[in-house]
Amino acid sequence: MVSASSDLSLDLRSRFEALVVPHLDRLLAFAIRRSDSVADAEDAVQEAFVRAWLGFGDLRDDALARPWIYRILRTVLSDFREKSGRRQQLVFITRLEDAHDELIGGEHDALFSEVVARLDSEAIHRALRKIPEDFAAAVELHDIDGFKYAEIAEIVGVPIGTVMSRIARGRKLLAGAITAERGAAAFEHATDALAERRAHRGGAR
Amino acid sequence: MSDERNILASRVVPADEAARESRHEVLRELLGAYADRELPPETMAQIEAHLVGCAECRSGLEVHDAVRSRLAAERPAAPSPALRARIAAAIDAVPAPVLVSAPAPRTVGHRTVVWLAVAGWVAAIALAIALVVQTPASPRRVAGTRAIAAPVQQVALLGGIVDDYARVSHGDLPGRARDLSAVRAAVSFPIEPLRGPDLRLLGAWTTDVRGEPAAVLAYRLRDHLVVQYLVAEDAFFRHPAVRAAVADRHLLTAADGARALVAWPGTSTGTVLVGDVPSEWLQTIWSAERPN
Repeated sequence: MVSASSDLSLDLRSRFEALVVPHLDRLLAFAIRRSDSVADAEDAVQEAFVRAWLGFGDLRDDALARPWIYRILRTVLSDFREKSGRRQQLVFITRLEDAHDELIGGEHDALFSEVVARLDSEAIHRALRKIPEDFAAAVELHDIDGFKYAEIAEIVGVPIGTVMSRIARGRKLLAGAITAERGAAAFEHATDALAERRAHRGGAR
Repeated sequence: MSDERNILASRVVPADEAARESRHEVLRELLGAYADRELPPETMAQIEAHLVGCAECRSGLEVHDAVRSRLAAERPAAPSPALRARIAAAIDAVPAPVLVSAPAPRTVGHRTVVWLAVAGWVAAIALAIALVVQTPASPRRVAGTRAIAAPVQQVALLGGIVDDYARVSHGDLPGRARDLSAVRAAVSFPIEPLRGPDLRLLGAWTTDVRGEPAAVLAYRLRDHLVVQYLVAEDAFFRHPAVRAAVADRHLLTAADGARALVAWPGTSTGTVLVGDVPSEWLQTIWSAERPN
């Protein structure tokens, strides 16, 4: 016979399984992008799930489960970083901003979409690691994980205006990082490919 | 008559140009939120109208769209069955959570609150730019000092700074004064060295304080070492004890043994000044920083 108390525990566990566990794949990806290894990311995600379970009674609104578990994971990752003494490599932001400004004012801006669309995940992750974590997190939470600005404000614990400026600046820095890494060669390759496709379309008519 | 028209034109065109430029500056900062459809409808309409005549903003918008589209195509990770089993076992090993009572229902629509917040922020940017364009800087209101109401080591930022200062002050300085330009390029906030008749810049470098990027400037003050830590404003204002101490333009003062700290917020930064010197010396430096 099952007691009322264990019924309650089972209900709670089912609710946890339904609300939190489905986000494991995206949470793991988020952790991998900011860890030295997949094993470190898995440890962080496991710790986040344990903390989430222990504090599950505090979750007042089921609709907020997803931002809530992300907030917990960010805290865990920050704690792990502090414990390991690993320092984020500071980047030359002005250099990235200059690269972005040159892109906007230069002849390659029309090709940027073409180049960025072809990048593989490894190149994207490398570029994300070059920009400050606060900016990268805001951009990733919106563009990869699909959160709205208000949810990101809850996760990160900053006003919505700060989220807005971090996303705007983060994307510019990311574009600068991609442009700086790919260099002129990638854009020239894209120019050739574009010209080839146009010529092919012209020939077909 | 022609000369009169020229004179009139020279008076009107620069003003129009300045207004257009300041409007462009405001709207350019909102392009990311525009691309994400996160602005109130009236602001969206303003940007749409601006985009028609502004090639630079159209180009900026394309960059936002390109980055966003590519990131949206990123795939989630595939957790291994072993990880799922580990997590389940770890959860089984801890006690079940304690339930709390249900919350009161919301009285205001969530979407309305979000847009009010966004609209407030947009208005604040526009107002800030208008003030910069139209009026000279208003004098800063001066207030006194206020001791922090928490032990230094309980405030992550200050505890981290005291620990870092202890390390730095017992060894060779990690950077030189001429490294200042590299430090400026490495952080996302502005850095201006402190002034003062007895103050001389010795070195500059970057570090992180409990995970927060920081610029560090070391000075010689009457043959003592004084170190300035600059951090981004969100890191500076994170702890409530810091916020309470610097409210109403007060100078935060604190001590860790014989070590004195003072701290104050800048435009988009926070400064913490540390030294094994009397607190009054550090307060004098802060006084010299304030506009008269």
